[in-house]
Amino acid sequence: MKIKKYIFFAFLLLVFSLPSKAQSDTSQKIDLTVNNVSLLELVNKIEAQTDFRFYFDTTQIGNDSYSIQAKRRSLNAVLWEIFTPHNIFFSFDKEQHIFLTKGQLLSVTIPESYFTGQQEKNTTILNNNFIEAEQNNAQETLVDKKIYEVGDKSITTANIVTMAGYIKDARTGEPIAGASIYIDKPRIGATSDQNGYYTISLPRGKHILNIQSLGIRDMKRQLILYSDGKMNIEAIGSIMSLKKVTISAQKLSNVRGTIMGVQKLDIKTVKQVPVVFGEADILRVVTTLPGVKTVGEASTGLNVRGGASDQNLILFNDATIYNPSHFFGMFSAFNPELINNVELYKSSIPANFGGRLSSVLDISSREGNKKEFTGSAGIGLLTSRINIEGPIEKDKSSFILGGRSTYSNWLFKLLPDEYKNSNADFYDLNLIINNQINKNNTVYFTGYISNDHFNLNSDTAYGYGNKNISLKWKHIFTNKFNSLLTTGWDNYGYQINSQKLPLSAYQLSFGIQQTYFKAHFVYNVNSKHAVDFGFNSLYYNLSPGNYEPLGSKSLVVKDIVNNEQALENALYVTDHFTITPKLKLDAGVRFSMYSALGPNSINTYPSGTPLSSDNILKTVSYGNGALMKSYGGPEYRVGLRYVINETLSLKAGYNTQRQYIHSLSNTTAMAPTDIWKLSDPNIKPQVGDQVSIGIYKNAKSNTIETSLELYYKNMNNYLDYKSGAKLVMNHHIETDVLGTEGKAYGVEFLVKKIAGKLNGWISYTWSRVLLRMNDPSAGELINKGEYYPSNYDKPHDLTLIANYKFSHRFSISFNSSYSTGRPITLPIGVFSYGGSLRTLYADRNAYRIPDYFRTDFSMNIEGNHKINQLMHNSWSIGVYNLTGQRNPYSIYYVSEKGAVNGYKLSIFGAAIPYINLNIRFK
Amino acid sequence: MKKYFSYLLLICLLQSCKEKYISPATSPATGFLVVEGVINSSAGETNITLSRTTALSSQAVVFETGAKVFVQGEDNSNIALKETTTGHFTVTNLNLNNTKKYRLSIITRDGKTYQSDYSAVRNNPPIDSVSWKREGRDVSLFVNTHDPNNNTKYYQWEYVETWEIHSYYLSTLKYKVGTGTKGATTYSAVYNDSSNYGPDMTKYFCWKTEPSTNIMTGTTTNLASDVINLPLLSIPADSWKLNILYSVNAKQYSLSQGRYEFLQRMKKNTEGTGSVFDAQPSELNSNIHCVSNPNEPVIGFIDVCPVQEKRIYINRKSLPDWNYNQSCSEVEIANVSDSIAIKALFLLPTYPKTDPMTGRIISFFAAPPECVDCKLRGSSTKPSFWP
Repeated sequence: MKIKKYIFFAFLLLVFSLPSKAQSDTSQKIDLTVNNVSLLELVNKIEAQTDFRFYFDTTQIGNDSYSIQAKRRSLNAVLWEIFTPHNIFFSFDKEQHIFLTKGQLLSVTIPESYFTGQQEKNTTILNNNFIEAEQNNAQETLVDKKIYEVGDKSITTANIVTMAGYIKDARTGEPIAGASIYIDKPRIGATSDQNGYYTISLPRGKHILNIQSLGIRDMKRQLILYSDGKMNIEAIGSIMSLKKVTISAQKLSNVRGTIMGVQKLDIKTVKQVPVVFGEADILRVVTTLPGVKTVGEASTGLNVRGGASDQNLILFNDATIYNPSHFFGMFSAFNPELINNVELYKSSIPANFGGRLSSVLDISSREGNKKEFTGSAGIGLLTSRINIEGPIEKDKSSFILGGRSTYSNWLFKLLPDEYKNSNADFYDLNLIINNQINKNNTVYFTGYISNDHFNLNSDTAYGYGNKNISLKWKHIFTNKFNSLLTTGWDNYGYQINSQKLPLSAYQLSFGIQQTYFKAHFVYNVNSKHAVDFGFNSLYYNLSPGNYEPLGSKSLVVKDIVNNEQALENALYVTDHFTITPKLKLDAGVRFSMYSALGPNSINTYPSGTPLSSDNILKTVSYGNGALMKSYGGPEYRVGLRYVINETLSLKAGYNTQRQYIHSLSNTTAMAPTDIWKLSDPNIKPQVGDQVSIGIYKNAKSNTIETSLELYYKNMNNYLDYKSGAKLVMNHHIETDVLGTEGKAYGVEFLVKKIAGKLNGWISYTWSRVLLRMNDPSAGELINKGEYYPSNYDKPHDLTLIANYKFSHRFSISFNSSYSTGRPITLPIGVFSYGGSLRTLYADRNAYRIPDYFRTDFSMNIEGNHKINQLMHNSWSIGVYNLTGQRNPYSIYYVSEKGAVNGYKLSIFGAAIPYINLNIRFK
Repeated sequence: MKKYFSYLLLICLLQSCKEKYISPATSPATGFLVVEGVINSSAGETNITLSRTTALSSQAVVFETGAKVFVQGEDNSNIALKETTTGHFTVTNLNLNNTKKYRLSIITRDGKTYQSDYSAVRNNPPIDSVSWKREGRDVSLFVNTHDPNNNTKYYQWEYVETWEIHSYYLSTLKYKVGTGTKGATTYSAVYNDSSNYGPDMTKYFCWKTEPSTNIMTGTTTNLASDVINLPLLSIPADSWKLNILYSVNAKQYSLSQGRYEFLQRMKKNTEGTGSVFDAQPSELNSNIHCVSNPNEPVIGFIDVCPVQEKRIYINRKSLPDWNYNQSCSEVEIANVSDSIAIKALFLLPTYPKTDPMTGRIISFFAAPPECVDCKLRGSSTKPSFWP
């Protein structure tokens, strides 16, 4: 059955232009006597007696003639008698419209909310050709005029049926992850998973399905559901922008989703934000979101809601990336051309994630183009990259291969002689393959290598790198039940070597390896319940330090800190429970079990005394695979959402986390030489919990999102180091660290304009992070056992990101941020010792460095958009730190020629211009 | 992470983004007691220095004078130190019993008593050698020590450098200041010594002495044997130190793990903190306590060991390519009061041009003072050990 376009428009027009309030009683009595009249004549007679208006498509209805004799009979009965013999169905709505359709009933209850939802922008719709609406109108919704039938018409038993399928980009065949699929009445929705797969349970009958996601145009699809079935959706991106799509995120999902404290960024947003040296940087943009802070410019360690930089789980297609930075933290280790989207969970962390206290940063790559071979290249001042993608088997499998490298050595040549022999290089390589074996089985492969190497004037050479492999298999059992099995191997390591003094030439190396298996199942029980469950198993093998002689003259004794092994298993289940259309609950529990395993030797200490090397009672040796200590417990993940109205909702969440691996650092940032330590009998796991509430309001047809979130968080057993701690090559590291307790609380406010020529966001956070070490049996109190601010306690944080698009080919971006200076331990006096003046320090973190302020600007210029040309070029030109603000990165004191001098160091002391060329080719 | 940090500095160097910083922090008014030194268990000098911490802005050392300082043994021995100069206390010939423990006891002028923990007399092997070699055009000095018993483990060194200075010009003249008619000041150049017209050698031969200003420590805990070969100091190419004869006296102390830790922390606190990649400053682990108020911070860590010394000399002759250039030049001045007053009062006279008939000084040459009088750069007293 098809409704012709003009009818549809006439219909719309009337809906909006005839706000009739008369009663719509179909039982009202009418008198009607006609003989062999046309349909038009017939309806004129009925319309003359009632307030009802008829709508139909004459070409569909045909030219039959109609006869009836009725006196004081109900309208309903009259229509029934007239139309049934002609196989014409009629339906009413509250607005006194009668719809006539041939052969099929039109459900009028569904469109109701749809049309009321549209009323605010009816003029737009009426003035445009509805289907072929202007491409660049970001607010426009694409309604597919086709009506899709799903299922078997003959099955009439089920009232609730399940539909499933894939959402893909119509042009490239790439899956669209995180798309919202929902109907309005009753409110039922689902989200596509990272492979674009969705499943949704709906009442049998006719619906208008809304499809919204990052990077595609919002769609509405009319469908009639008969029974369980499949429907794949090919979504349309903007034709103009070649993988960089204008339409912004999830217009309603911040109001509707149950999860709070989640931030999602698409790569387009990331690319617009100006960054130093012009290389689009995911982590840098993540730090502009509310609740996310970083200690300084040259650092990619994130501090999320008061968490330390080791409390973030950074996943790239399920692989854990231990060091997400390149080049002293100036760049993140993720190639922006291969990233599809980034999700940061900072309060309600789904139960399938675990093992870190603060947040999960889930980075997913794109899939390669399944239809044709394409590529891109980028050339910047310090880095360049090239990516190639294409089908392996058309429409079934594809690959994407990307690499980046640097040629920064020219920078060193500009520097004074003392740096002449320095060099710094990095590269990263990604290979992503996916293969859809059949409609129920898809496999995905991800390979990732990153490597950094630097050498400062040939004294000491540093190198570090990540290596990751993951393999995923998605299997669909039924529409309601699917599984995702993932296995992989992650490796991170670093090496330091020094050869200057032959007698003490050494090489120091550190490594973590982990092997994991994850099984994740999704079962859509019915329209009220959807259940996720599964288990994760993770085996750690960590070599904390190998210190070896280098060269034949070296007297260095080979020293190996015992390898550490552990197994972390977790079982989880979450029920996504739609209690009422307005109230939704996500209740999850994750039970994690951790076992520290031999072989290893563990020191024991008398209870109640400080763990110090003088206090070692005895050393216990454990054999291969022996259980040394186990920890575990439930972690609760609860989220609640209450929709007050279409654009306003309240959410609350509570979650607990356990973390069994700790990074030990007595530096503030994440440095490549930080070591990681597994929990063992002497080092307890970190435990944290968080309560948060939030209010979400959308305005202007959901193009403006506002949110306000409050949180309070406790952390226990967070490791801080003792004064003068030795962390590297320490065989009893428990004697150099202290378990502290922490609390963090704050308010986050975000206003985001996601569509239109001007878009961007403003975020403001007020937050505190305080730590305390008040256990006298630990041997040493920090700041006399009082609460002290952590290194990244920056109470005020304000960020503005704004993009303005002048045309398809020219846009500008502006970015500005302000934050309170981070705490620092300052000297309060000086004294003379060893021939020099020395500094006397006050309490830990009692002072702050000056506040931070920075503004960046960039212009993006696209070449022409002729679709068929081989190369598409774009330029980004910008200035980082436009105002040349000398933001203090640190304050430090040095003893120089017998006097103590304080210095303020800024990484960027001036405005830094940059230019980048991007090329896309077929 | 020092190196790592220096890279950041390096990016920064392009833009000069290192600025002076004035701390808002304030320090306690009276200051805390600072005790520096080691009890020398052998026959040599034991030197203890007492001072007070001061506000950051004040860069002068406030010595603590008038205290009574004693070396006390577990065997109730009690030897007083003598204050030689303000805040410096000395005693020689302690010759302590290696099997006993000793401590330092201090009674300050305000009547408070401070005591260090009792420490055993530590072993300290003699310095095998202080060696030097060229590294590029620089000269690097190394200290070499070994402990056949492999139990010293922690070392500290201090050194005192001494070098001979010769003035660029010999000077046979000096200015004579007189009073002319109308009471005006008059100047003339006259011989230093009119008996032999010879130069003033006290302005020609001098010696400069400089103590080390760094804390130098070393450890062999991670080496197979207790063997030390560490850089002590480096003399930059063509430095004036090696222009004639140079000597360095290295002192070696052996350290307890506690004192090693104390010095390391102090070193880290002062020599590199504040950057994100440096360790945070940490509290010092003193072993000296105020008896009446154990919570009062005291800075110092006292160990007991024999102090080992080694002196070496380096002669310019062994550095044929050493090219110290003081860049001095002289000008000729008429020996007339007015021209001296105008042109030469900021210079020193070197040698004369005389009238061959009368021997009168007609004119003379003059050069900048530091080219003529070495006392401006060192001391004219020859050190007792100088060859």
